[in-house]
Amino acid sequence: MLEKNDKLADADSKKSFRGSFRQSQIKNMSFNVVFTLTIVLFLTFVLAAIGGILVKGVPGLASSLASEEILFSIRLSFITSVISTVLCLTFALPIAYGMERFNIPGRKLFNALLDVPLALPPIVSGVALLLLFGTTEFGRMLASHGFKFVFTVKGIIVAQFFVNIPYMIRVLKSTIADINPRLEFVARTMGCSQLQVFLRVTLPLAKNGLVAGIVITWARALGEFGGALMLAGATRMKTETLPISLFLNMSTGDLPEAMAAATILIVCSVISLFIFELLGGKQTELSRMN
Amino acid sequence: MMILLKNVNKRLGNFALKDINLRIKKNEYFVILGPTGTGKTVILEIIAGMYPLDSGAVFINGADVTRQYPEDRHVGFVYQDYMLFPHLNVRENIIFGLKARRVSAAEINIKLERMVGMLNISHLLNRVPATLSGGEQQRVAIARALITEPELLLLDEPLSALDPRTKDIFQQELRRLHEKIKTTTIHITHDFNEALALADCIAVMRSGEIVQKGTPEEIFQRPKSEFVAEFVGTENVFQGDIKMQNGQCIVDIGGICIQVVSDLAGHVGMALRPEGVVLSPEPIQSSARNVVAGKIRHVRRQGPFYKIVLAADANPQLEFVSSVTQQSFESMGLGEGVPIYACFKATAVHVFPIHSEKNQ
Repeated sequence: MLEKNDKLADADSKKSFRGSFRQSQIKNMSFNVVFTLTIVLFLTFVLAAIGGILVKGVPGLASSLASEEILFSIRLSFITSVISTVLCLTFALPIAYGMERFNIPGRKLFNALLDVPLALPPIVSGVALLLLFGTTEFGRMLASHGFKFVFTVKGIIVAQFFVNIPYMIRVLKSTIADINPRLEFVARTMGCSQLQVFLRVTLPLAKNGLVAGIVITWARALGEFGGALMLAGATRMKTETLPISLFLNMSTGDLPEAMAAATILIVCSVISLFIFELLGGKQTELSRMN
Repeated sequence: MMILLKNVNKRLGNFALKDINLRIKKNEYFVILGPTGTGKTVILEIIAGMYPLDSGAVFINGADVTRQYPEDRHVGFVYQDYMLFPHLNVRENIIFGLKARRVSAAEINIKLERMVGMLNISHLLNRVPATLSGGEQQRVAIARALITEPELLLLDEPLSALDPRTKDIFQQELRRLHEKIKTTTIHITHDFNEALALADCIAVMRSGEIVQKGTPEEIFQRPKSEFVAEFVGTENVFQGDIKMQNGQCIVDIGGICIQVVSDLAGHVGMALRPEGVVLSPEPIQSSARNVVAGKIRHVRRQGPFYKIVLAADANPQLEFVSSVTQQSFESMGLGEGVPIYACFKATAVHVFPIHSEKNQ
C-alpha cells in the first residue's frame, strides 16, 4: 500500500515536471524567435536601403567614371583623406600612448576634452574651425604664412583631421591599453631606452590596432561632409570631394552622377569596415594569448 | 654587499611597502616569502627601476641606483607569466637584450649557443611563445634574462604557474643553474618548501613589511611570530604565560603545562613542528620530555606521512599535531578515537615573544 502511494506520488511529480519543461520550452522558443526576427528585419532594412543606391548607381558607374567631375572628386577625396589620415596618426599616436602610459594629473579631464570633437556634430566643428581660421588674429597669421584654410583644399584636410582624430585616438588607446606594460618594462631591463621599447615592442604589438585605426579614420575622412562643407565650402571642381559632389549633384538633379559618387563611397566604406573588423578580431585574439 | 635597500617606502593605490630594509650578499640565492598580495613583486620592480620611490634608496654593488633608469641597472627580470614578446620567436626573444645593447652578431651567436645549451631549449629556437608549454616559456624567459649577464637575477614566482612535476624538475634546475653561474638571485614565492629547497637566505613578508629575515633553518626552527610560524607550516602554535617552577621554565597553555627552554618572561608564543612530536601508546618516563595524554581527533594522509591531530584530555580545545610514517601508523594501530600520548622535548619547543600583533 505504502509502496503504491509512493509510486503514485512519483508519477505525479514526473507529470508536473514534464509540464514545467513544456512551458519553459515554449518560453525559450518564443524568445529565440522574437530576437531572431528582429535581427532579420533590421538586416533587410539595411540591405534594402543600400541596394537601392547600388541598383541605380552601378549601371551608370562606367560612364560617370569617365566624367571629369567625378574623376576630380575621386582624386581630391583620396588625396585629402590620405593626408588627413597621416596627420591624424602622427598626432594620435603620441597622444594615445601618453594618455595610457604616463601618469598625467587630470588625465580624466583630458580624456573628456579629447572626445569633445567626437560629441560635436561635424557641421558644428566646421563652424568652429571657420570662426577660428576666418575671424581671429591666429587665423590671419596662419593665412599670411601660406596656411589658408577657409574655402580651400587645405581646409578640407583640416576639417577631416579635426573631426576624425578622436576616433583614431580611441582605437589606439584601447590598442595600447591591451599591451601589458610589464612587456615594455621587461624590455627596458634588457637595456632598451623608452624610445627603443616603443619602436621594438609597443609598435609591433600594436600593429593590428594601428592598421585598424588607419583604415577606419581614412574611411571616415573619405565621407567627411559637414565640417568640410562649412570650412572649405562646396565649390564645383575646387573643393568638390565625393560627398560634396553627391550633395551638389543631388541638389541640381543630376541623379546618375550623384548615384555614382554614392556607390563609390559605399564600396570604400564596406571594404574598410571588413578590414577593421578582421583586424579588430585578431587584435583581441593576440591580447588574449598573452 | 651586493644589494642594499634602505628604508624603502612606496605607496601604490591602496597598497604600501613600509620601510623595507634588505641586504643581499653577492652570489646569494635570496628568497622573499609571503602570501599573495603582500608586495613581493613590487620589491622586485623597485629594484629593477619600474617605479620612483616615495622615500629610501636602492644600492646595487655599492652604487646608488635609486634614480637610475631600468636600462642602466643591469638586472635580469623574469615575471611569473614570463612576459615573452609574442611578436618575436624564441631566438629573437632570447637575443633581444644583446641586440638592444648592440652586441656583435658573432658574439650574439656564441652566447646564444651557450645559453640554449645550458637550458636545453635549442630545439625551440624557431617557435613562437604562444606554442610553448609553461615550462618551456619559463626556460626561454630565464635564458632571455641571463644572456645579458646581469649583475642580479630577479625571479617573480617562477615556479607557481608550473604543474607539480615540472615544478620539481625546474626547482632542481634553478639550484643547479645558480651553482654554475652564481648570479646573485632574488626569488619570490609563497611556497615555503620552495624557499627551503633553494634559499641561502629568506625574508618573510606580510602586508608590505618584512617580518623576519634569516637562513631557512632559522625561519623554520625559530619563527619570530605566530604569522611566520603558521606560514612556514608549524602546526602546533600555542600561547601562554611563562613562569619558573622548581628551576624549570613552564608555560601554562590552558590546563596543560609545557616545559620549555627560554629566557623570555611574560606572555609568549610557542611553536612546535609536527616532526618534533612523538606518539606513544604509553607515557614515556623521562624528565626531559613533555607528555600530553589525549585522543586522536582525526587523521590526514599527506604523501608518505600521516598527520595525526590529537585532542588533549585535560583541555580538548588544545590540539597537537604529529606526523608519523605509514609504518608506525600501522604498527601502532592508530585511528580516530584511539587514546595516545604525545611526547616532545622541552628543547623542541620554540618560544617567541608575542607583541600585541594587529589583525590576529
